[in-house]
Amino acid sequence: MSYSTFNRKKFDSMKEPMFFGENVNVARYDQQKHPIFEKLIEKQLSFFWRPEEVDLSNDRKDFQKLEEHEKHIFLSNLKYQTLLDSVQGRSPNVALLPIVSLPELETWIETWSFSETIHSRSYTHIIRNIVNDPTLIFDDIVTNEEITKRADSVSKYYDNLIEMVNLYNTMGFGTFNIPGKGDIEITMPKLKKALYLTVASVNVLEAVRFYVSFACSFGFAERTLMEGNAKIIKLIARDEALHLTGTQHMMNLMASGKDDPEMAIIAEECKDDVRDIFIEAAEQEKEWATYLFKDGSMIGLNAQILGQYVEYITNVRMQAVGLDTYFETKHNPIPWINAWLVSDNVQVAPQEAEISSYLVGQTDNSLDDSDFDDFDL
Amino acid sequence: MTSTSKPESLEKKEQVHRVLIGKKQILVTEEEPLLVQLERAGIHVEYQCREGYCSSCSIKLLWGNVCYPFEPLAWVQSGYLLACCAIVKSDIEIAFFD
Repeated sequence: MSYSTFNRKKFDSMKEPMFFGENVNVARYDQQKHPIFEKLIEKQLSFFWRPEEVDLSNDRKDFQKLEEHEKHIFLSNLKYQTLLDSVQGRSPNVALLPIVSLPELETWIETWSFSETIHSRSYTHIIRNIVNDPTLIFDDIVTNEEITKRADSVSKYYDNLIEMVNLYNTMGFGTFNIPGKGDIEITMPKLKKALYLTVASVNVLEAVRFYVSFACSFGFAERTLMEGNAKIIKLIARDEALHLTGTQHMMNLMASGKDDPEMAIIAEECKDDVRDIFIEAAEQEKEWATYLFKDGSMIGLNAQILGQYVEYITNVRMQAVGLDTYFETKHNPIPWINAWLVSDNVQVAPQEAEISSYLVGQTDNSLDDSDFDDFDL
Repeated sequence: MTSTSKPESLEKKEQVHRVLIGKKQILVTEEEPLLVQLERAGIHVEYQCREGYCSSCSIKLLWGNVCYPFEPLAWVQSGYLLACCAIVKSDIEIAFFD
């Protein structure tokens, strides 16, 4: 079945599954099968921010004062974050929009991906501010072996799903010979499995990989270095917390069978695969920590501590999607990270100091002439 | 008539419940979410958003009741509670990692 940008069929979108049902036609939000996605959209919109709001002039001075091995830690971490958001700024759209079947989920995917593009823009903002030639940094992301290894593992599930959906949309079900790749079998259970594993790997990306990189960014700020950068990362962390809630909801809705009974069977079958995705990512992140600190550690953070944090955060995230914890580390080795991650003290304008998600233009439209009765001029 | 309503509201305000965490026990009220009361008692709990969307403060609820004045955005698994927005409604027992 081929994708249509406006499905002409008349159907009840309240009865569609999240994915692989009818293509969405009318973008309507007055009724929602899963209202959570509408709530996530509203929350994400209330978080809107722009990187240029954060002044980075002190970061340039701080960066020049860093020791060589600290510059390596800072820049490598930034390159990794750039890679992750390059993937996230497009992939949910490319992979999930052609197969989504609910208007509120479709819009959540677009809103989610859009916010990742703001993150990408903020890395450019940071890099432009601290080095004279950003090209050197950006070029290294596609050539540095330590980074490209990560690119493979964060993009392979997306790429596989996209390839299968392309085949499905052009050829339908069957086994197709793809030059260079051999036979690829397209069935609905196989498509759903590819989808489930993709969502799981995205959850790992957002809930584990990103947090490891946040730890490094905040490690500098703990020493009152690169604080502008930390402010930006704080805003990014607030968005990511919301995104990972989105993917956790998708995974848990799929696993519960409430959305699509067949998906529950697939989720059950994939339990070991998902577990392996978490463990593999954690091992990669620990390897990455060794690479970051290869020339020396920094006060408060080294490969061992970051490795323990990887184990700890992986346990937390596995538990959140109903898996048993895997690692021994049961305590957060860097409890100071919470003070940086907490969103309720993200810098805000004075009039909105009470809440970080301030809604603009909240006016009372129910005023009546009689409300002015006691006004004397 | 007025004398009966006064003690009732007073009683409601001072509703105190026990929270068991391993061998520790603390007393909490229904006035505030569990997280701030745990922190005040010196118990370290993970947190991030403190408004129910990140699920960092998800804690195992072994028994007892909690309620949420606002439905949190985060997925609350059965058998767990979100400390940042849960109001304790009875004596409860909680656990961090098993």
